[in-house]
Order: sequence, then structure tokens, then C-alpha cells
Amino acid sequence: MGSSISKIPIRLLFIFEILSLSLIFMYRWDNLDFNTFATGIGLILLVYFSNSVLRRISSGDHYIFLIVSMMFSIGLIMIFRISSDLGVKQLLWLLIGIGVFFLSYFTIKKIDVWDKMITLYLGVAYGLFAMTFILGSRLRGAINWVNIGGVSFQPAEVTKIALIFFLAAYYFNLEKYSKNKYSEWIVMGIVYSYIGLLFLQRDLGTALIFFGIYTGLQYIYCSGRRYELANLSLAVLGGTLGYVLFDHVKVRVTTWINPWPYINDKGYQITQSLFAIAEGSYFGTGLGRGNPAFIPLSYNDFIFSSISEEMGVFTGIGIIMLFVLLVYRGFKIALLQNHKFYRIVALGISLMFGLQAFIIIGGAIKVIPLTGLTLPFISYGGSSIVSSFLALGILQGASEKVVKEDEYNE
Amino acid sequence: MNRESKRIITLFISLCAGFILLIGYLSYFQIFKAEAIRDNQYNKRLWIDEEQVLRGSIIDRDGEVLVYSQEKNSQVERIYKYDYLYSHIIGYSTREYGKSGLEKNFNSYLINANRNTAINEVINLINPVGVGNNLELTIQNDLQKKSRELLKGKKGSIIAMDPKTGEILSMISLPDFNVNTLKDNWGEISEDTNSPLINRGIQGLYTPGSTFKMVTALSSLKYHEDENIYNCEGTLEVDGYIFKDFNSTGHGSIGLKEAFSKSCNTYFASLSLELGHDRVKEMAESLFFNRRIPFDLDTSISRFPEREVGKTDVAASGIGQGRIVASPLNMLLITSAIANDGEMMKPYIVQRVISPQGRDVEVFGNEVLGNISSQVDISLMQEMMKDVINNGTGNNARIRNVQVAGKTGTAENASGKNHAWFVGFAPYDDPKVAVVVILEEEGSSGGSSAAPIARDIMIYALNNIKFRR
Repeated sequence: MGSSISKIPIRLLFIFEILSLSLIFMYRWDNLDFNTFATGIGLILLVYFSNSVLRRISSGDHYIFLIVSMMFSIGLIMIFRISSDLGVKQLLWLLIGIGVFFLSYFTIKKIDVWDKMITLYLGVAYGLFAMTFILGSRLRGAINWVNIGGVSFQPAEVTKIALIFFLAAYYFNLEKYSKNKYSEWIVMGIVYSYIGLLFLQRDLGTALIFFGIYTGLQYIYCSGRRYELANLSLAVLGGTLGYVLFDHVKVRVTTWINPWPYINDKGYQITQSLFAIAEGSYFGTGLGRGNPAFIPLSYNDFIFSSISEEMGVFTGIGIIMLFVLLVYRGFKIALLQNHKFYRIVALGISLMFGLQAFIIIGGAIKVIPLTGLTLPFISYGGSSIVSSFLALGILQGASEKVVKEDEYNE
Repeated sequence: MNRESKRIITLFISLCAGFILLIGYLSYFQIFKAEAIRDNQYNKRLWIDEEQVLRGSIIDRDGEVLVYSQEKNSQVERIYKYDYLYSHIIGYSTREYGKSGLEKNFNSYLINANRNTAINEVINLINPVGVGNNLELTIQNDLQKKSRELLKGKKGSIIAMDPKTGEILSMISLPDFNVNTLKDNWGEISEDTNSPLINRGIQGLYTPGSTFKMVTALSSLKYHEDENIYNCEGTLEVDGYIFKDFNSTGHGSIGLKEAFSKSCNTYFASLSLELGHDRVKEMAESLFFNRRIPFDLDTSISRFPEREVGKTDVAASGIGQGRIVASPLNMLLITSAIANDGEMMKPYIVQRVISPQGRDVEVFGNEVLGNISSQVDISLMQEMMKDVINNGTGNNARIRNVQVAGKTGTAENASGKNHAWFVGFAPYDDPKVAVVVILEEEGSSGGSSAAPIARDIMIYALNNIKFRR
């Protein structure tokens, strides 16, 4: 299987990396330092080794990791250009993330009882929420960071995966659970309790992802119009209530409809983002020639705008296409997977990547209201990178899970 | 295919639709919205570029420096040598309140950059910037000063131009403001009900009154409605509305020429009725009513009523009353075209863009906007306008030894105080200068208050300007 994959994509990826790294070198010509060389060589080695190791050990899909390699290469180069310190840190996070990827890939393959641990997933999710509320600190208006031993991370990143496993375990065992005729309502209640808690944490972006994953999986696996209708009405009701009750929701909507009157305060982020994208035009100002530092969180939530400014909107569209490809591969993995549990997991993870990319890109270009999220694999940030690779490892595992005939469940 | 697979595919398609929406919006954004957003004054990138560049100087037609920039303690300073004189033409460039005038419209020349595009970077390697291009204007500084003196204490505008080239020789609009203390007085200036920020010469729209009779006359000459002899009794009733002549005294039996020089309202009102709304409108629109005049500064569009709403309205249009409004520049353009034997020149105020090394980057001028009428009609118009000065309402614009031609206007308007208009050109046989004077809500006739100002401008211009031709 390993030899069946064409070498052309990875060679193209290297060409991209070499070209953009030489731009970085030119940009930093006057103060070339160890970090620049280390990051450049580190990135190329990381991509080379992780891809070739994966090709040898995994019989599953080889494209998802390649697509992700392209994504994190663009991200790392952009972050390094904005701040070389952050770039070096990001490279370390990528190293850890890829380690986590292989770890989660092996774990998902070795353990066979994933579909039987529904209570564990519930416990993990509520436990993480409790931890956030007890230990959490407020950052940029949202209480979603927890600091343990000097390392801070966002528990919600892991909760997303717990949600996917919870839903997969539920729909996999639907026959068993549906003996209780209220089971679907209970699941809905649990999911909405997550969403409500996220609203309280002011983490609207993640709440949207939770809603999207649930709605998508429910659409496929839940038979019963009334549940879907109930879900949609709850969403409308919740959205309206949120708008009326919470000022932070109102602000998002106001600045989405017209941010220009609030250019100096609450509309600042989105207008700076639009300036950057407008400045970049089709082909960008060139690496190092724009001013992405004018955008708040230019290396994080607004990395898409930074990339659009310096590499052009065509690169931005390229990134969107990469996410389309990633979601496509993920759905294809699901369609080829015989085991229903892993099928649902693959769908859930693909949905998660797709939705997250859509919500933050859509927010940054003002198609939808802005909610703070990271762009998976591209934005700077340890917990985002690590949890995205954790999910990708699961997807990789799901792409090759071969089930014994007697387990075949349909 | 089972239900599950079908739904999986549907879900995938809807996700893709979402992504396509993003791509579609990004393309739309770049094509239609990006430019305006880029030029938003809150875009800090605009200032990053500019702060590295020594903005170019602006000089008048004789080389006199009006505005320049200098470096002082590694900070770039913009020096406006005249507090008020160029507040509308050159305008201002501030970080807080944005830009106006030529500072705005010629910004990219003045900073010599179209942003940090790759091509510009290459150009900059060959030709290191840091200094912007200079602008040479068609304005003459002394005439500009003279205009402001003449208008002082009034509201309105004076514009002088060379009818054969389209060069704007001077342009004053009052009230104006001090560009050097703009930052301290912004609130006061921007809230002033007299709107000192408006350049009345090109952005003010006024009822043109009798100056519009030039248009009615041109239309009647075109359609040969000019041979009628009309018996003027001083008043004319149209649908119950009474048109009056000045002092309501009748002119007796008169033709077009005399009616024009005496500015007979009843004649032109009935002439307009004979021509009809469409023919007058056709002529007006060929003379840039309902169209934007191409110009170096932002202009407002003069309006002629789109649709006819009754005979009173048509009659009022013929004498420049009713719903017509015109910018002073527009009336000047019509006058200049008549002076220039029917050829309308594009007005312009920036003659050349000069690189810091003294090379011409771009030279403007001598663009023809079109021919407004036949040679015969134009000669008749010229004669009629000469008659206005010699035997009619405009005798206050008469200059010894130089034949002047022109038209006065006294426009009634909502304020109750008339606007006083004068448009004219001189010398008659070889026009070198055309001028428009509008005194807003002056309350007196154009012949008595605007014509003498126009005369002084023309004398000054003929004596002091080095004409290029």
C-alpha cells in the first residue's frame, strides 16, 4: 500500500516550502540567526520524516496527513514571519503535535472497546467543563483557558473529541439505547447542556461547532423528523435568548452587520482584518512586505487575514480548498469504513475540522459574525495544534480499521 | 445506495456549499469592495507608506511654491504657506481627519507610490524614493489672492479659466478655513452652518437664473425658434403663474438678441414653452447638466429636471428658475465653450506631475470635451453676449480698450435673497480669460454686484498672467 501513493504531491510540498523559506530568508537577510535556519531545516525534516514514517506504518489514507502538512507549513511560515520567537515555539508544538498524532493513531488501533465507553466520554466532558469553571481564567472575554503547572490549554479542544466519541458510541448502540424511548431527548439535552456551558464561558465559536457536529450526525443517524425539528427550534430559541441575554453576543452581531461605526472599539478586530485582506489583493504584498501585525491576534484567530495580506487571496482560497480536500478525504474514509462506530468518528472529526475552518474564516472575512476560534493546523497555539493532531491521528486510525466479519455491524 | 451513504454525501455537499460561499465572497470582496476599504482613512497601512515619504511640493503656474514638506527632527512636516488661500484647491492631509482636495485626489502622485506592490519595489530599487512627486498647477497665485480679496466678506465663488485650454487660473470659494489650524478647530469648522469645507465653485449647486438663458438661446438657435418677434408687456401668465420682468416694465416688441441683452424673462419663458421641455433638456444635457464634469477635484452634478411637470415648470426652466440647479464651474464651462468658438475644453487644475529629479512624470491638458453648437449659432451667441455688456444688463463689466462679453443672472431662491451671477469672457476677439462670479444670497442683481467683480478679475488676469499659447 505504501508504494501506491504518488510522490508528486510531497515533492510539490517541498518546492512550496523551499520557495517560501527562501522568502523568509530574504526577509530576515539583515539579521539572519540560528532560529531562522533551525526553523527552516526543522520544518523540512519534520514534514519529510513524518510523511515517510506514516507511509511505512499505515495502510490507510495517506493524503490527509499530506494535506495537513501543507496547512501547517503555510501556518508556520506565516507565524515565523510575524514573530520568530512564536515561530520557533510553533515548530516545537508541531513536533509535539505530530508525536501525539502517532500516539493517538496507535492507541485507536490497539484498543477495541471504544464503542462501549459512553459514560467515560460523558464524564470526561463534564469533568473538563468543571475544571474550566474552577481553574479557568478569562482571556479576551472568554473563560476557556486552564493553566496547570505553567502550561495553559483550552479544555474545550478535548471536549470536542469527547463529544464526537459520545455521539458515535450512542448512535452505534442506537438499538440498545432506543429501548428507552426518551434516549434521543436525553442525548439532545446533554449536547445542549454542553452548548449552554460554552455560552456561559463566552466561547461562542466552540458552541457553534458543537451544534454543527450534533446537527450533522443527527441528520445522518437519527430517524425521526421531530428530533431534527426540535434541534433546530432549540437552536433558534437559544440563539435568540443568547442575543437578548448576553451583551457579548449582541456585540458580535452588531459588528457583523456594520463594523465601520465602531472602528475604534468593538469593530476594531474585524475592520483590521478586512483592511489586511483588501491590502493583499489577489497575489498579496509579498512575504514580509505587508503589515499583518496591525491585526490583533494576527498569528492566531486572524491568521487567515495575515496570510491573505502577504500571500494574497489566492492563497487564502487555496487554504479553503485544502480544507475542502481534508473534509473530502475524511468523508471518503467514513464511506469506506465498515465499522459504524469508526465511521461516525471519522465523520465527526471531518465535520469538526470543516466547521471550525468555516466559522473562523467566515468570521474573519465578515460572512458570518466573528467568533474567536483557531484555524486548525494553521493558527499558532499549543492546545489547538495538539488537539487537532490528536483528532487527525484518530481519523488516520479510522481510515484503516479493519474489522472482523463477526463484528460487522449493519 | 442506502440512506446513510446518501445523507453522508448530502452533508458533504452542504459543507462544500459553505466553503464555496466563502470563496465567492472573497472574490466579490476583492473585485468590488477592496479598493474602497483599502483607502479608508483608518487603514494604518496608508500612513505607514506615507510617513516614509517626503510628500511632494505643489507650485503655481509661475513656479511659486504653495505647499512643501520638510524633515525636522526626523519627523515629516507639511508646510502650507497660505492659511486660507488654497483650503479648497489643495485641501489638507491629516491623520485624524483624512484628506481633501488635491492632497486627496493626487495623493498617489504626491507620495510617489501605489503601495508596496512587488513591481513598485523593483521600481524603488532603481529609483530610490523617499521623496514624492511635485505638482505644478494652472493656478496663478496673485490672481488667486486678488480673487479672495474681491470676494472677501461675501459668500460665493469666483473661478477664472483660459477658455482655449481649460486651464483653471484661479478658484476661490468663501467662506473658507485655515488649513494650518485645522486640527485645533475641526469641530468648529465641520459644524459651521455656512459649510466652509465645501468648495462652492464646483460642489455648490445654485439656481442659475438668467445665466441659463445661454442654454435656452443655444437650443432655440439650434431649432430655429429664434426668428420670432415677441411683444413683451412686462408680465406673462402661464397656467395662473405670473412671470415678471425686472421692475415689471415691458420691453415692447423684441427679438432674441435684445431679449438676451435686456434679459427679458417673459420672452425666454414663452420661448421655452415653444421649444418644449425635451429640446431645452437635450441642450442642457449636452452641456453637462445631469452628467459629471470630469475634473481634478470632486464636482457635484448640475441638475435639469428629468421629466416635465406642467407648463409653468417648462417656462421657469427657460429662465433658469424652477427646479434647475447648476454648479458655477458648469456655467463657466458653457461660457468658455462659447468663447472658444463652440469647442468645450476639459477644465483642469494640475498642469504637470514632476519627479523630484525634475523630470515630467505626467503632463495634462488640451483635452476637448466636445463641440457644443454650430459655428453660425456660436457667432450669434458671442454677439448677443457682447451686446449684454455694451447695451444691456452687464455694462458694469465693461473694460476700457478691451471688449468683454457675458451674461448676468439674478436668481430667485428659497432663501428669499437673490443669488447674483455673472459669467463672461474677454477679449472678445481673442478670448484669454473666462470668469464666473456667484454671490450666494447677495440680495442684489448680478449686473450690479457680480459684474464689477468679474471685470476686476478679467483686468487683473489680462495684465498679469503669462498665457501659455
